[in-house]
Amino acid sequence: MAVLLQRRILGHGGRSGSLAKRWPRVKERPEIAVDWVGLISEIALRRDRGAYRRLFEFFAPRIKGYLMRTGTSEAEAEEIAQEAMITLWRKADKFDPATSGAVAWIFTITRNLRIDALRKGRRTERVLQDVEAEYRPEPVESTETAYSRSQEAGHVELALQRLSAQQSEIIRLSFLEERPHSEIAELLGIPLGTVKSRIRLAMNRLRELLDASK
Amino acid sequence: MTIKHHPPEEFLAGFAAGRLDQAEHIVIAAHVSMCARCRRFVGAFERFGGTVLETVKPAALAAGAFEAVMARIDGGEAAPTAPAVARPRRADDTGLPKVLDLYEIGRVRRIAPGLSMRPIVIPGGGKSRAFLLRSEPGSRMLEHTHTETELTCVLEGSFSHEGGYFGPGDFDIGDNTIEHRPVVGADMPCVCLVAMSGKLRINGFLGRLIEPFIRL
Repeated sequence: MAVLLQRRILGHGGRSGSLAKRWPRVKERPEIAVDWVGLISEIALRRDRGAYRRLFEFFAPRIKGYLMRTGTSEAEAEEIAQEAMITLWRKADKFDPATSGAVAWIFTITRNLRIDALRKGRRTERVLQDVEAEYRPEPVESTETAYSRSQEAGHVELALQRLSAQQSEIIRLSFLEERPHSEIAELLGIPLGTVKSRIRLAMNRLRELLDASK
Repeated sequence: MTIKHHPPEEFLAGFAAGRLDQAEHIVIAAHVSMCARCRRFVGAFERFGGTVLETVKPAALAAGAFEAVMARIDGGEAAPTAPAVARPRRADDTGLPKVLDLYEIGRVRRIAPGLSMRPIVIPGGGKSRAFLLRSEPGSRMLEHTHTETELTCVLEGSFSHEGGYFGPGDFDIGDNTIEHRPVVGADMPCVCLVAMSGKLRINGFLGRLIEPFIRL
């Protein structure tokens, strides 16, 4: 299987200036178009280390950066980032491109490892828990075809694109970066009450968009 | 199964981002496993999370991290095996959502006539407790409010209160602004998965729970 890679120049170094610049809106994709799905399948099919290295170089520092942004210590963020990359290698053959995008899949790996780390820190005795299974509690219905799943993924993608920049921003700050409402208010220069109502409106809007795209 | 009552989106978002308290996480997972609409919302959020991951400011890994990871992969470091879940299943466990397969469930405790509960064992605890609550058909609670948040997912049977009718898969949220007077459906027992937060110790909490219940 020939995997086509299109790679333009990475545009990541030297971000500076205002916060808004350093934390680009979600809609502003990085200036890169790498076929992540293709790279993951190279790992699944032939344990391709070159493909793995490219995924590692892009994602490992971002996983670490994301975790540190959400308050994880640097040491733990480093450990989870490495664990996440090992998981990516091991589970590459389980990745189903029809269900979710490559980056969404890597996000869920990161999230699950973080939950696991948080739980481990709390419990006295070691109890293994399968966080991943908690998110996929039911087997995918056999009647569900890859086509309908990819159609579903397309609907979801479209809904996300239709969120306004302001709505994406408030969702990112509040739920993904986990900033307290007071910090968001300060960051955006809006009253606390407005933060709360914007979050509510963004949530309603996302639900509406997803419900509409049946 | 027609699900009419869904969790507030904030809880679904928190679930997708992996930041819910564990007891709340379990109840949301149970609802999501039964509700295609909310699965879609969670899926959308995971995609959104991916985009955030793609655009976040990177933090350099320690020198030699890649080589260290490759060494761990080559070393065949024990792959994480699926956890052996040794939870004694009871004959009446069959209708429970799969998420509960991952947890140990405590013994049945009678709370009041027609009302019993089984705690979900959460290693290390958390701010909320989770438990299965089973009430006999036709039970009625006196009007009450909650001091903290209570999340409920109906697994079997039904109940009704001012907010409407709640059947299997339906999700209910109670807090100190809501007055409840639920009545359990008359045809079969109602089994709910509940997450309840509060600073009360379990005894005090049970005591409080017994009080508002009467069997009709």
